[in-house]
Amino acid sequence: MSGDHGSAAIAGRVRHVEALLEQRGLLDDGEIDRRIDEFLAGGSPINGARIVVRAWLDAGFHDRLLADANATIREVGLSMAGGLQEQRLKVVANNEQEHNVVVCTLCSCYPIALLGPSPSWYKSEAYRSRVVRDPRGVLHEFGLKLPADTRISVWDASAESRYMVVPRRPTGTDGFSESELVGLVTRKGLIGTAAV
Amino acid sequence: MHPAIWLMTDRFAPGDRVRTSSRDPEWHTRLPRYTRGVVGEVVEVAGHHPLADDRARGRSGREQAVYHVRFAAADLFGDGTHSVTVELWEDYLEPAADHEREMTA
Amino acid sequence: MSRINDVGGMVGFPAVLEEPDEPPFHADWEAHVLALNAALIRRGVYNLDEFRDAIERMPPADYLAASYYERWFAAITTLLAAKGVATAAELAGQEGLPTAADPVAPSDLADD
Repeated sequence: MSGDHGSAAIAGRVRHVEALLEQRGLLDDGEIDRRIDEFLAGGSPINGARIVVRAWLDAGFHDRLLADANATIREVGLSMAGGLQEQRLKVVANNEQEHNVVVCTLCSCYPIALLGPSPSWYKSEAYRSRVVRDPRGVLHEFGLKLPADTRISVWDASAESRYMVVPRRPTGTDGFSESELVGLVTRKGLIGTAAV
Repeated sequence: MHPAIWLMTDRFAPGDRVRTSSRDPEWHTRLPRYTRGVVGEVVEVAGHHPLADDRARGRSGREQAVYHVRFAAADLFGDGTHSVTVELWEDYLEPAADHEREMTA
Repeated sequence: MSRINDVGGMVGFPAVLEEPDEPPFHADWEAHVLALNAALIRRGVYNLDEFRDAIERMPPADYLAASYYERWFAAITTLLAAKGVATAAELAGQEGLPTAADPVAPSDLADD
């Protein structure tokens, strides 16, 4: 997409609308750049990984996280208050019997303030249409092959809550440090399209 | 609205069987088409918010409970063994009829 | 009516494609659109539900053909016109802007 004619044309149109809004007093000088910087400096999958690892290491934190994620992530210095307003965070945990996966079928709801922007596939019609109907097939396309008897729970972020998955801790990681464990957790793991 | 009033006015509680509206409104709504006219189970009260349908039409909207409602894939699509949990405003829900309440998810 | 955004459970869409090492934005203008929308919602020009509504009211063929942030920009301009902030012609640049200096140098916004 970069640098093609369509992209150059829309870049010009966006610039034009920004200038118009500045003239009409609806945008402050430099506001757009400031907001972009704040956005890029805000959420990150690392935040989710830190929460997950703390849940792996501390059963009490794990239970509090599932009961009240907004209050519990404050224990590790994080919050859902980075966006327009604090959103409710619902955390669900995978276990031997159950695997969770998150989608927003109507648009693209995602805990951006905590985890940063969502990947393009999460916003695609292909993912949004298919994962509620055939989650096992979609997960298989992601390379995640779950045992036949694992229950799959799909969460459609259709209203005010945003969701995050706590993946299962991989076996063979007993001696890992906290930072090594954080390095194992991926953005896909936090959405539920990867094992971890 | 004061939280105490919410508690008094929540129509449903976890464990309740509910049927979603089958209405297909002309306006913005957050009841996805694939979950319309289906019976599911309330699993959690997820806060209280003005109805999105109202806000999208420039109305302030009545603040009401929003619930996590779990559906069996077989009830949504005719087959499948998974569940789908959708977050739905109270206005989208009615109590399931007696015979529907006895069904298992 | 059920709108084109309401795709949950629909059949016919292809396999999910992942983009390895995807950047947060694919071009600078996408970041500008995101920031512009946040600024307008914060100022109360419109709310998030009106924004979603405007995306959903796109003609279905246009919706499916548009990229994610193209949809956002279409919704923003629809709402600015609907709210009387500017006319569609002004938003499209057809009436030109008065002579106030363009505050953003074109080179700052060139696609990467």
